[in-house]
Amino acid sequence: MIETRGLVKRYGSVTALDGVDLAVARGAVYGLVGRNGAGKTTLLGILAGLRSPTSGSVAIAVARDDVAVLPDTPRFDPWLTGREVVSLAAHLTSGDAARVEAVIAEAGLADDLDRAVRGYSRGMLQRLGVACTVVGSPQVVLLDEPASALDPLGRREVLDLIGRLRGSATVLFSSHILGDVQEVCDTVGILDEGNLVFQGPLEDLLVGSAVPRYLVRCRPPIEPVMVSLRDRPWVVGVDPVDGDRFSVMVASLDDAEVRLARALAEAGARVISFAPEAVTLEQAFLELTR
Amino acid sequence: MSLWRLEWLRLVRTRRWIGLVGVYVFFGFVGPLTARYLGEIVDFAGGELEGATIEFPPPVPADGLIQYVSNAMQIGTLVAAVIAAAALTIDAVPEIGVFFRTRVTPVSRILRPRLVVTAVVVVAAFVLGALVAWYETWALIGAPSAGGVLSGIGYGALFLGFVVTLVGAIAGRSRSVAGTVMVAIVILLLMPALGIIDAIGRWLPTRLAGALAALPAGDAAAVDYLGAAAITVAAGVLLVWLGARWTERREV
Repeated sequence: MIETRGLVKRYGSVTALDGVDLAVARGAVYGLVGRNGAGKTTLLGILAGLRSPTSGSVAIAVARDDVAVLPDTPRFDPWLTGREVVSLAAHLTSGDAARVEAVIAEAGLADDLDRAVRGYSRGMLQRLGVACTVVGSPQVVLLDEPASALDPLGRREVLDLIGRLRGSATVLFSSHILGDVQEVCDTVGILDEGNLVFQGPLEDLLVGSAVPRYLVRCRPPIEPVMVSLRDRPWVVGVDPVDGDRFSVMVASLDDAEVRLARALAEAGARVISFAPEAVTLEQAFLELTR
Repeated sequence: MSLWRLEWLRLVRTRRWIGLVGVYVFFGFVGPLTARYLGEIVDFAGGELEGATIEFPPPVPADGLIQYVSNAMQIGTLVAAVIAAAALTIDAVPEIGVFFRTRVTPVSRILRPRLVVTAVVVVAAFVLGALVAWYETWALIGAPSAGGVLSGIGYGALFLGFVVTLVGAIAGRSRSVAGTVMVAIVILLLMPALGIIDAIGRWLPTRLAGALAALPAGDAAAVDYLGAAAITVAAGVLLVWLGARWTERREV
């Protein structure tokens, strides 16, 4: 649905994007993650037609009218009412005027729709932006940090909205809140200093890219056990968690499954439990961008 | 809600139209009044300056319109430039610019209603002020030549249309309303300075600004302004094209 080839964007001597090959499948909810300044907003800006690439190509498989964009801090002419803003968005995107009321209600703004937007809070403006984004029933939705400055309730609503778009639109969603991406996205791209260092299904990232870890709990003292494990060649690292737990990084899950139980027994550990540690997107992200 | 209605609401809800119409109508009232009673006003203030007695010739009908033009074409043009810049600098608030740019292509579709509505309201305010000045001149001093007044109003309206297109072109380069206004004002001030050379000045759009003063006074004929009017129309078309092109190319 969205494809870029060798996308480069330079601002003077600064390279914001350095040969990005993005591939977003039709119907995907794609999370674009990266640190501040990694190039996320520049990439979305190019996809939205707001910026021109220095080189490379962009292909979006729908007409420009079917691409909706929500900036991170949406703002509107302050003297318009909420209803007028959504009505304008519907008019400009060939949206169905009959959907305006429903979209406003869905965004939780029904009680404020006849107030001038100059009195709207940040969260209300974000919800209004969401209403304007979906009123035209776009096939591609580009969201730039849509929940970064919202309170937990507002964030929840935006994530629910993205969830509801699944199946009806292709969503490209940039964020540095990795928990949000892990919750709603099925595909992830990690952008680091203008380079797309990973792209693929979320499961592949969590399973394949991060170093496997086991969380071990045993009776104190744990220090002799940790020292014994560090001598094993298949152990990458051992880090204490608290008085009776430590984390064991292994070269592969196979090594842990075959050797870890025996190694703990040989170290004289009085094991209470041990299990693979769930790798979070944050851990995977840090390992890829460190 | 169309882009045309949006522009109408921009003028009404922000009350900018009141400032615009207010300035021109105010000078429409004050201009002829000043021309008629200037002698009395100076007499009331003493009538002497370091021993010299100041005497004014009896006012003639053209004086009422000269007063209107001298005030309205300065303050009024400044107000018109501010209002035009506020509408035409579409990226002054980038998020609002993004709202329109990602929904309307090409950008000229965004600019067209802003240019037209602003120009129409600016011209309407100027014409209204001129009609007020014309009526009051007739009532207080005497009737100026109708042909001269109507031609002068037409040329003045053309000049203000040019001002709006000039602001639109500058807005294609500038991201701030204040910056757009300042550059426009500097250009509008430089043009009369250049116009001191008569061979150049007779072709400049700024020459049209004084037509409503000169034509009823008989200082010039309507045909004398045709060259400047043709240049103004051509420059206006060019500025509209440039404004759309520059705004389209700008990255947000």
